[in-house]
Amino acid sequence: MVNEKEKTGGQVLEEWKEFVWNPRTHEFMGRTGTSWAFILLFYLVFYGFLTALFTLTMWVMLQTVSDHIPTYQDQLATPGLMIRPKTENLEVLVNLSDTKSWNQHVQILDKFLEPYNDSVQAQKNDVCRPGHYYEQPDNGVLNYPKRACQFNRTQLGDCSGLSDPTHYGYSTGQPCVFIKMNRVINFYAGANQSMNVTCAGKRNEDAKNLGDFTMFPANGNIDLMYFPYYGKKFHVNYTQPLVAVKFMNVTPNVEVNVECRINAVNIATNDERDKFAGRVAFKLRIIKKT
Amino acid sequence: MRRKSLPEIYSIEVNGTKDIETTDTETSGKGDGKGKWKKERLRNHKDKQKELKKDLDLDDHKLSTKELEEKYGTNIIQGLTSRRASEILAQNGPNVLTPPKETPEIIKFLKQMVGGFSSLLWAGAVLCFIAYLIEFSKDKSASMDNFCLGVVLIVVVILTGIFAYYQEAKSTNIIASFTKMIPRKAFVIRDGEKREIPAEQLVVGDIVEIKGGDQIPADIRILASQGCKVDNSSLSGESEPQSRSCDLTHENPLETKNIGFYSTTCLEGTATGMVINTGDRTIIGRIALLTSSLGHEKTPIAIEIEHFVHIVAGVAVSIGIVFFIIAICMKYRVLDAVIFLIGIILANVPEGLVAAVTVSLSLTAKRMAKKNCLVKNLEAVETLGSTSVICSDKTGTLTQNRMTVAHLWFDNQVYQADTSEDQKDQVFDQSSATWASLSKIVTLCNRAEFAPSQESVPIMKKIVMGDASETALLKFSEVIIGDVMERRKRNRKVAEIPFNSINKFQLSIHETEDPDDKHFLLVMKGTPERILEKCSTIMMRGQEQPLDESTAEAFQTAYMELGSLGERVLGFCHLYLPEDEFPDTYSFDVESMNFPTSDLCFVGLISLIDPPRSTVPDAVMKCRSAGIKVIMVTGDHPITAKAIARSVGIISANSETVDDIAKRLNIPVEQVNKREAKAAVVSGMELREMSPEELDELLTYHSEIVFARTSPQQKLIIVEGCQRQDAVVAVTGDGVNDSPALKKANIGIAMGCAGSDAAKNAADMVLLDDNFASIVTGIEEGRLIFDNLKKIIAFTLTKNIAELIPFLIFIIAGVPLPIGTMAILFIDLGTDIIPSVALAYEKAESDIMNRKPRHKKKDRLVNSHLALYSYLQIGILQSVGGFFAFFTVYAVQGFKPDRLLYLRPLWENDNLNDLEDSYGQEWTKYQRKYLEWTGYTSYFVAVMVQQIADVIIRRTRINSIFQQGLFRNKVIWVGIASQIIIATILSCGFGSVPVLNFTTLRVQYWFVAVPYAIVIWLYDEFRKLLVRRYPGSWWDKNMYY
Repeated sequence: MVNEKEKTGGQVLEEWKEFVWNPRTHEFMGRTGTSWAFILLFYLVFYGFLTALFTLTMWVMLQTVSDHIPTYQDQLATPGLMIRPKTENLEVLVNLSDTKSWNQHVQILDKFLEPYNDSVQAQKNDVCRPGHYYEQPDNGVLNYPKRACQFNRTQLGDCSGLSDPTHYGYSTGQPCVFIKMNRVINFYAGANQSMNVTCAGKRNEDAKNLGDFTMFPANGNIDLMYFPYYGKKFHVNYTQPLVAVKFMNVTPNVEVNVECRINAVNIATNDERDKFAGRVAFKLRIIKKT
Repeated sequence: MRRKSLPEIYSIEVNGTKDIETTDTETSGKGDGKGKWKKERLRNHKDKQKELKKDLDLDDHKLSTKELEEKYGTNIIQGLTSRRASEILAQNGPNVLTPPKETPEIIKFLKQMVGGFSSLLWAGAVLCFIAYLIEFSKDKSASMDNFCLGVVLIVVVILTGIFAYYQEAKSTNIIASFTKMIPRKAFVIRDGEKREIPAEQLVVGDIVEIKGGDQIPADIRILASQGCKVDNSSLSGESEPQSRSCDLTHENPLETKNIGFYSTTCLEGTATGMVINTGDRTIIGRIALLTSSLGHEKTPIAIEIEHFVHIVAGVAVSIGIVFFIIAICMKYRVLDAVIFLIGIILANVPEGLVAAVTVSLSLTAKRMAKKNCLVKNLEAVETLGSTSVICSDKTGTLTQNRMTVAHLWFDNQVYQADTSEDQKDQVFDQSSATWASLSKIVTLCNRAEFAPSQESVPIMKKIVMGDASETALLKFSEVIIGDVMERRKRNRKVAEIPFNSINKFQLSIHETEDPDDKHFLLVMKGTPERILEKCSTIMMRGQEQPLDESTAEAFQTAYMELGSLGERVLGFCHLYLPEDEFPDTYSFDVESMNFPTSDLCFVGLISLIDPPRSTVPDAVMKCRSAGIKVIMVTGDHPITAKAIARSVGIISANSETVDDIAKRLNIPVEQVNKREAKAAVVSGMELREMSPEELDELLTYHSEIVFARTSPQQKLIIVEGCQRQDAVVAVTGDGVNDSPALKKANIGIAMGCAGSDAAKNAADMVLLDDNFASIVTGIEEGRLIFDNLKKIIAFTLTKNIAELIPFLIFIIAGVPLPIGTMAILFIDLGTDIIPSVALAYEKAESDIMNRKPRHKKKDRLVNSHLALYSYLQIGILQSVGGFFAFFTVYAVQGFKPDRLLYLRPLWENDNLNDLEDSYGQEWTKYQRKYLEWTGYTSYFVAVMVQQIADVIIRRTRINSIFQQGLFRNKVIWVGIASQIIIATILSCGFGSVPVLNFTTLRVQYWFVAVPYAIVIWLYDEFRKLLVRRYPGSWWDKNMYY
């Protein structure tokens, strides 16, 4: 470099100062007050226009989207399974000597099962014909709100938690875990054939540690009458069918990996990438002082 | 005169080393390891310098022929034997100058790897690895995403580095191969035979013959000489030809007359010499070695790109840090904040830009090479465009570099000859009998001959053996009267006295072509006053008339007139010898001169000049309208220089020098107000007396300047003077001693034909045809590429915002991430590359040669308007379009925009596999992830679609796209096609590749952003319309970039 000498730190600072506020030209950051006003006004108008444009296009787009059914459902071809109580890391931890450890699960379940109370169900929902889809087609006229079928809490038997001193079995180390299938609008689960949920230990030692378990309703059945689902807006009182699994004698103080899957003709449970497609894996751990 | 030349030689050595030392000490402070290496180099230089001084105690000039023969084991008559010669060749190496040491390739390569944006990307990669390590240490089964991204970033840096390096290397190779293209030949005596060998095979002890026009092929000790004169200007800066003989005239080898130096030119006469030094051991070789290691200035485009990198890096780092802090404040995990930081850096860095710029520059370099400008350094392409001063040589660059007949004077009248390159239009009156006589003298009294076997070559291109003036006359008469050689044969030469500096005339006696006419014809040419002295009569319309006062006066007027045009004037006369005194058996003796040399008949004058190239006046005009100052720097006589300057327009027709004003007003020169004179002719002597301040004043107040009789060293002073005025200086040069000036200049231009290797090495550019006009075409290309680079950068910067905003919204509004880092890389390095290169093919919007050269410091490549318009207007518009596409794709799948806000913690929770959408449906993590990828793809496609609009609008900065021609630049359409094809392949073909995270998009969602693309286009047309309509308005000042 011939002409450009290295600037000293002081000079740089001076230049910056002058850039920020130039007292000669009354320029703040290279612009005078009016100049700033103009440019800000311009950007105000410009961004105002942009907001309007965005709002308009969004409005037009949302007009094309139906209120009761999404345009596409291709990504929900296989509904997932999930457990209750929903815990962090999908681990159901029960420490028998520490009430707090399971009490939160119990509270979650109490709240979760409240809408399933028989009184609520009887008041809001219909008694449907088991083994048949409960279809309520629109037939040209919108037919809503749509009715839902009853799923009574008593159907959950020992796991209903009704007048249950064991708190869903959590206080005795025989916890109930509830399996539910994700809601998908207009999905005819089971394709007119009966389906049920089965559970098993993930590996051989898990199976050994898992011990016996009972399922409610019997056999882990999910009835067809709870399908199809018509969406939050139309199917207001829809009650999701549940399967409760009561683990009777889990080997304490070991982590047991359990996997439950749904056996239905039209639900694949072997998707490699989606570990929750038609199945759910969770951990059980009962801590018992010996 | 000669006394002065010596200090100049030393001065350049001293200057050279001084510069090296300063640059070395400057850089050595930077790093210890480097410093050591530099010091070593410094020591080498000092050694070299010492060696140089020691070797100057050359004593070959003092030795007798016998001693020389002994010393070099050769024989003056027989020369070396071929065997001995090849032995010495093997021992000493070929007789060429070693090109200067290049920066080691690995260093060049590494520079490409760490320079500019690469360092940001390296930082990004390191952050990726850190993030991965943190994740990995917490959870052994952590996803490899960050690790992969880090690897990809490194691959990107390395690939772009390799690419830039390859482009650079390719253009360097052009020049390397070029240097080899022009072999020099030398006549050498070996094994007692004269043969022509490539000059690089010469060895010490060889006996070489040189003649007028040759370049001396090595340092030689002159053994025999016939009127040999050399031009040492490239060595000493002395433009006066110097005679060479075999006598020792001075103790100092540089001053004695019996040494001829490598690369100097033999102007006339012949000589035989013994090679005493070859290649780098020659005097000039050593100077070249020293000067060529001078440090080089940063090119303007390098400065501009650095400036641009600073802006972008500044934006990237500050936004990154601000959002890092925001993320921390919003209680994000540090790891997440780090990942955001990576995304922000990645979005901000235009990864593909370096490649696009390099390709554009090398495309232009190729285009320029077609127009005879070979660019050595890619960046020099643009430097040429920002040139504001050209210091041009005269000879060969502005002129044709060959003497040509310009005027004739006979029958008391001046006739003009055609001096264009082919000389076809000779329109002067050829019917006069005087012309017949004159043409006969011109033909016969001429020793120049065409080299054999070039019948098919056009006359002007034929190679001639003979000095410049005689060649000119030979070609002139060949054009007008036809076969000169045949005519000479018919008029057999019986005696001849060649031209020498004492006689100042040339004479020959011929038989006449008429077999019945037994007269002898004596023809003579020489300096006009000398010829006139010998005449008593003058020919007028074929009739001899006594030479009286009035005709003598007419002669004087004509002589003065032609002389004042800077032309070399020759007089011609003849005499038919009386038959009775000189019968056809008469034996002429040139020693005793047994024939009359007075009372001859004066026939006419012919003046010669090295005429300007016919394309130059136009080119100079173009420079003037382009605001480029053309300064002529020549070693020639001021009068000649001024005449040429006037004829090419460097001094325009109506401007005057101080002398002209003095003459017009008839007042002494001292009384003229110097400021009144637009033009100035400054001689080297005057320049030497000037202080730098005076030179500055001269350069400021005179717009048309000619430096005459300057030495190459003074060229350096002139260049420095111009650079003090903040000018970007282009300098042409060919001599070895021009190399410091070429290096110092912002762009050194070496002559391809006449240039020495050293000059070509020092230069940034080589003019293949030595033509000034080619420089101007180069400037045009350079300016065009500057404009186009602006467009490329504007195009590239726009989508950076569209890549950046998603991260910001992601952090602030908690929506799922709209675009992934891989997709960003695929925009930057995939869809956007070809369109941005295509912008380099854009034609100029208006006559770029009608505007002033850009100001180095004010007209930046990336100014605030460009950045604001790209970032805050089009960029934001694009982001909005992208978000529209993003929201659309989510909405049709079940997640309406209101559901997406602040959904992020749930959305990204791996264990939440029943996330409810707007319709009450429940989604597993993978289903959401897949939807997120679909979102990436839609945003990616939206940006791609809007970038199509962007590339269309960027084609022009002020004109409407319709004025520019929608289909004029076909490459743009190739670029647009490539965008669509690449996006289609990514979306369809690679949907299943896990790391890339693209999914197949429904056809209709490819068109979601089209309205926004149209808005972009309309808005820019609107902007351009207002800029065109209201020049100088607020809009113009703020919206034109």
